[in-house]
Amino acid sequence: MNAPQDAYDDTDELAGEYVLGTLPADARRAVQTRMTHDAALRAAVARWEARLLPLTNLSSPVEPSASLWPRIVGTLDAAQAKGTAHARVQAHARGQAQTNTSAAPRSRPIGPPKPGLWDSLMFWRSVAVGGMAAVLILGSTLALRPASTPSAPQYVVVLVAPQSQAPGWVVQAQAGQSAVQLVPIAATEVPPDRALEFWTKADGWAGPVSLGLIKPGEPVVIPLDKLPPLEPNQLFELTLEPKTGSPIGKPTGPIQFIGRAVKML
Amino acid sequence: MPNRLDPDFDYEAALQECAAGRRAALEALYRQEGPRLLGVAQRLLRDRAWAEDIVHDAFVKIWKQAGAFDASRGSGRGWVYSITRNLALNALRDTARETDVDDDAAAALDARHAIEAWHDTRDAFDWRASAGRMAPCLEELEPVRRNCVLHAYVEGLTHSEIAQRLGAPLGTVKAWIKRSLQALRECLA
Repeated sequence: MNAPQDAYDDTDELAGEYVLGTLPADARRAVQTRMTHDAALRAAVARWEARLLPLTNLSSPVEPSASLWPRIVGTLDAAQAKGTAHARVQAHARGQAQTNTSAAPRSRPIGPPKPGLWDSLMFWRSVAVGGMAAVLILGSTLALRPASTPSAPQYVVVLVAPQSQAPGWVVQAQAGQSAVQLVPIAATEVPPDRALEFWTKADGWAGPVSLGLIKPGEPVVIPLDKLPPLEPNQLFELTLEPKTGSPIGKPTGPIQFIGRAVKML
Repeated sequence: MPNRLDPDFDYEAALQECAAGRRAALEALYRQEGPRLLGVAQRLLRDRAWAEDIVHDAFVKIWKQAGAFDASRGSGRGWVYSITRNLALNALRDTARETDVDDDAAAALDARHAIEAWHDTRDAFDWRASAGRMAPCLEELEPVRRNCVLHAYVEGLTHSEIAQRLGAPLGTVKAWIKRSLQALRECLA
């Protein structure tokens, strides 16, 4: 009935909704930021986590793929080897705040929002799946292709839809050549007031570079003369942008298709 | 069954070993909880590859932050699940698509459907066998409110998504969840 009791209830209620998972993104981040300096909230969250933990049993176990543990080890090895463990973990964990050992270890605070397309989990996931799709599609395209110069490594990128993982476009490139060919393999719906913009980014680049607007359903050759040579794992994506392209020179709209360059043997 | 928990697994000791840099301890933890953590993440994200990304990130984070685990604040097992759930929920919320219905739209949902849902006494989850010490407290909640809590915690649905799922007004769902949390807190005290 009195004020302190009410304040306690508010904190506890917020902590409960946070642990339950119902808070939207901005409210989640606000809680995670507040936990770094609000011991009462931290304690309330810890109590809720302990209370609701048995509910995790309602999800059936799923056997991880055989590659998951080696992948974890690979990440740890890479971080250790390069001595940049902290930065890498942070980059991978996407926006996690600096380790704050004074904060409750049970719930890490998260940093300011970084909703960039290029560091989103969805993005990395798509790229991984795109790579697998590339292997599958390569099998069918290879047979149809005339033999190419054996010394020049060739790259293929299968661009897949982030949600459905359905392949929509294939990028073909000859390493050393200053152009890529973008070929549609499925229909792409684009609203009349929007346009598809093509982007690429290699590891180590500060951000994606626009390769121009693309007409849905039409193959096109895109010069890369102002860019460094194509690299393995180089990322490509098509985003939905205003009719005249992104006004700020980097992707602003939703990803329609995404994938990364795979070197053909 | 490879997924069976070792009831004697010492989570706190494993985390101490991780903090000391012993990879074998992380691997033991992965063998012990990996499938369950992946199950939790996959149920939240509804996507196998995405869920594996989250479990990958979770184990990297567990390794890096094991030294910050404080056993006086809670169980090691709970800490591991909280890390994984938080990564998954952050990812889910941060990539939320603009499909949430707003208050008006939720309130305007078909009335007949809403009434059916409100009176729905069926359980959407098979919770009795698996909720352990929470089961008696879940039992005290009306089924529709219990379903709200479980849709949120287990499936990662937002208030709006639950409102859509149940065909109930958004405000009602928010009130149900708020009161259900109060009831659970008292029951589990």
